[in-house]
Amino acid sequence: MCFKNLPVEFDSDGKPFLRNGVGDPYATATATAPEGPRQLTAEKIEDLLKRNGHIKSLDFDPVTRVAGALAFHTVADFENRKVLEARSVATLFRGYEVIMVGRDPRDAIYITSRACGVCGGVHSTCSALAIEMAIGCCPPPMGVLIRNLALALEFLYDHPLHLHLLAGPDYSQVIVEPTNPSLYERAKVTEAHHTEIHGYRTIADLMTDMNPLTGKLYVEALHMTRVAREAYVLICGKYPHPQTIVPGGMSSTINLTVMNEMFVRLSQFFDYSKKLALIWDDITDFFYEANPEYKKVGARRANMIDTGIFDHPDAYDTKYENANVWGNRRWATPGAIVEGKLVTTDLQTINIGLEEFVEHSFYEEWTGDGQQQHFGTDPSGNPLSPYHPWNKVTRPRPQGTNWKEKYTWDTTPRWDRQSMEAGAYARLWNTAVAQKMPESPFLESTGHSLKMRVPAGALPETQLEWHVPDVWNAFERNRGRAYCMAFTTLIAFEQWRAAMELLKDGDSRTSTKFEIPKRGTQQGVGFWGAGRGYLTHHLTLDRGAVANYQIVTPSTWNASPTDRWGQPGPYEEAVLNTPLLEETSDPAKFRGLDVLRAIRSFDPCMPCTTHIQSEVGLITREVNTCACGLDD
Amino acid sequence: MRVIVGGVAYPDLCDYSIGLEVQERLSGRDAPANVVVEDLSYNPIAVIQRLDDEPPDDRFGRAVFVSAVKHGDRPAGTVSCFVWDGVLPSDEEVQRAITEAVTGIIRLDNTLVIAKYFRALPDQVVVVEVEPETHEFGAAMSPAVADQVDRICDLVWSFATDDDAVDALPVGSLEVFTAPAFRFG
Repeated sequence: MCFKNLPVEFDSDGKPFLRNGVGDPYATATATAPEGPRQLTAEKIEDLLKRNGHIKSLDFDPVTRVAGALAFHTVADFENRKVLEARSVATLFRGYEVIMVGRDPRDAIYITSRACGVCGGVHSTCSALAIEMAIGCCPPPMGVLIRNLALALEFLYDHPLHLHLLAGPDYSQVIVEPTNPSLYERAKVTEAHHTEIHGYRTIADLMTDMNPLTGKLYVEALHMTRVAREAYVLICGKYPHPQTIVPGGMSSTINLTVMNEMFVRLSQFFDYSKKLALIWDDITDFFYEANPEYKKVGARRANMIDTGIFDHPDAYDTKYENANVWGNRRWATPGAIVEGKLVTTDLQTINIGLEEFVEHSFYEEWTGDGQQQHFGTDPSGNPLSPYHPWNKVTRPRPQGTNWKEKYTWDTTPRWDRQSMEAGAYARLWNTAVAQKMPESPFLESTGHSLKMRVPAGALPETQLEWHVPDVWNAFERNRGRAYCMAFTTLIAFEQWRAAMELLKDGDSRTSTKFEIPKRGTQQGVGFWGAGRGYLTHHLTLDRGAVANYQIVTPSTWNASPTDRWGQPGPYEEAVLNTPLLEETSDPAKFRGLDVLRAIRSFDPCMPCTTHIQSEVGLITREVNTCACGLDD
Repeated sequence: MRVIVGGVAYPDLCDYSIGLEVQERLSGRDAPANVVVEDLSYNPIAVIQRLDDEPPDDRFGRAVFVSAVKHGDRPAGTVSCFVWDGVLPSDEEVQRAITEAVTGIIRLDNTLVIAKYFRALPDQVVVVEVEPETHEFGAAMSPAVADQVDRICDLVWSFATDDDAVDALPVGSLEVFTAPAFRFG
C-alpha cells in the first residue's frame, strides 16, 4: 500500500477506495502527523535568540542567482554551526489561476506560458495536455514526437543555465578561495578524475573556469543556451513563449530541412553533456573527500515526486482512465519516492495523493464553512481530497508576514501529506529504478542506475552511468541535473530518429482538429514536467469556459512553507540540515554560502518580479515573466 | 556609419510598451540604408548574440535604444535623452543582470550593462528614456505618455539619422537597480 497517511487503500485489483468507517476521512485536525523533521516553534526560537549571543537571525532577501523573488529567513547557531530555523518566503502574488477563470481554455496555452521566462513551453504544453484530456483530442504520432523534442530542447537551455550561471559559481574559485581557503589549497593539488573528457587537470583549474562572468564554463553555458534556443524555435517559432503548441499536437511544419537544422544543433549537446556530467562528478567527489560534512549540505529525506514526461506515441491517448498505462510508457517514468523507495509510478495514484494547503500562505481556506466539495472522486472514480487542486479555489488574502501564521505566497502541496521535492533528478531516479522506459540503444534503466551511451562528437562515444545516491543533498541535486543533460539529449535524439522514420513514411501530420464543447462539464489534467521537474495543470471546463484552473509547479513543492503539522518544506528542511562550513568564526565575515548552496541546488524558479519589503525600503522590479515557483 | 534603433519593452503593458510602439512606428518609415530598426525586447544575452552576428568589418557604430524607465521623481511623459557614458556597475551587479536576463526579465539597463560587458555594443549608445505612469495589462497608454509618442519618434529618428543631433546630447549614466542580498538581524 503506497499511502501511509491518507485514508485510502487499494483493493485486490489495485483500485483505490476510502478506508471504511472513517467519518471525516480527509480531516486535517485529527489526522496523524507524518513522520519526519519539525521546525522549532516560533516561541522557542524567540527564547533562544534572547538568551544566546551566538544565535542570530540571518536573512537572505532576495536570494540572488535564482529565478525570481525568493527570500529566506534563518536563525543560526554560530557556536555549534547549525541552522535552527528556516523559513522560505515567496514574495509575490501572480494570479494566473484567477486570470484563467471564465476564459476560453485555448487562452491557457498562451497565458500560462507567461508564468515563466525560462520554461514557458512546459506551461503551454501542460495546458494543451489538460485541454486534450478534457475534450478528448489525441495528437498524431508526429505531434507527440515533436512536442517531446521541443520540450527536451527547452531543458537543454535550462540545465546549463542553472549548472554554470546560477548554482555553479558557488563552487568557483572566487567563492571558495575566500570562504574556505584550506579547501582551495587542496583543490590546487587535487587531480581531476576525468581530465580526458573535460580537459581540466586539477580541481582548482575547474573551479577557476566556473568563475562567474569570466570563467570559460560560465561563458560556454551562455553560448549553449543559444544553441538550444535556436533548435527550439525551429519547432516552436519563438522562445520562451512558443506559438505552435495547440491541443491535439503542434502547428509546426516538419520537413527534412527543419529536421537537419535541428540535428546540427542537437548534436552539439553530445559532447557538452559528457563534459557536464563528469565535471559535476569531479566537483562532488572532491568536496566529499575533502570534508565528509559536505554530504550534509542541503541534505534531506529522499522524498520526491514527478509526473514523468515525454510520451510514447503508441501509448498516449489523452484519457485519464488510461493514464497509468500511458504514463508508465513515458521516456521519463512518473513516480513518488518516499524515504528513497519508489512507491508508485501510476499517474492516477500520484494525482489522488496530491493535496494543497494554505495554513502558512497568504490565501484563505476554501474548505469548511458548509462549502460543498466539487469533486468527491476523480474521473475514474478514485477518491479525491477536498484539498485536491480539482477542488481548490484560489482566494488570495494579502497580509503581514508572521512566522507563526502566514509568511509566503507559495502554497503547501503535499503528497500523502508528506513534504516532497521536485527536480530534474527525480525523473532520473524514477526512470533508473522503475525499469519501464522504452527500449533504446542509448539508454538503459538497471533498477539502481541509468546507463547512457552518448554518441561520439569531437569526443569519443562515452558511456555515462548515474547511480541512485546513498545520500541526498545539494551536491547530488547538482550532479543529477548534470546527468540529466545527457539523459535529455539522448531522449531528444530518440524523438528525432523516430520523427525521421515517420517522415520517411510520408507522415508529417503534427496535429488533430478539435472543437471545444459548449455544453456540460469536463475535467482534464496536464501531467508534464518542467526543467525543474513536476508540473501539473488541473482544469475544469463548464459550458466551454474555464471554471477552475490550478497549477502546481516544481518550486510550488520545493519552496513550500512549513505545513499544518509542523513539517518543513523542502528548502526549509534542507537548510535546517546544513552545517555552516565556512572557515571563519566571525559572524560578520560569514556569507551563508552553504545555506545558499542548499537553496540553489533545488534550482529555485520564483516569479521574476521582485517586490520586496526590506529594511531599506520597498524594492520593486516592475516586469513580469517568470512564476515557476508561484502560480496562484 | 551603420545605426541600429531598438525598442526595449513588453507588449500590452500600457506605458511600459512605449519602446515597442516607437519601434513599430519607425519601422514604417523609409530608413536610409545605414539604419536598421528592430524590436530588441528579448533576452539581453540573445541581443548580444544578435549584435555579434554582424560582420566584423561592418558592425553598427551607433545604437539608439528607446524604453520606458521609471524614475518616479519627474512627471509622466518626461523624455530624457543622453549618450550613455558606458560606465558599468560592479561585477556582482553584472551577474545580477545576467541572472535576470537568462530567467526572462527584459529591461533596458540589463540589456545595456550585459551588452557592454561582453563588448557587443556599438561605440556610441544613445538612450531615450520615457517616464511611464500606467503599469497595467492593456494597449492604452496614459495621456501623458500618449501625447509624447510622435515627438519621441521624431527624436529617435533624428538620433538615428543626424550626427549633429547626437553631438548635442549630454553624456549620462544609468541608474542601475541595487538590491540588498544578505543581512544580519
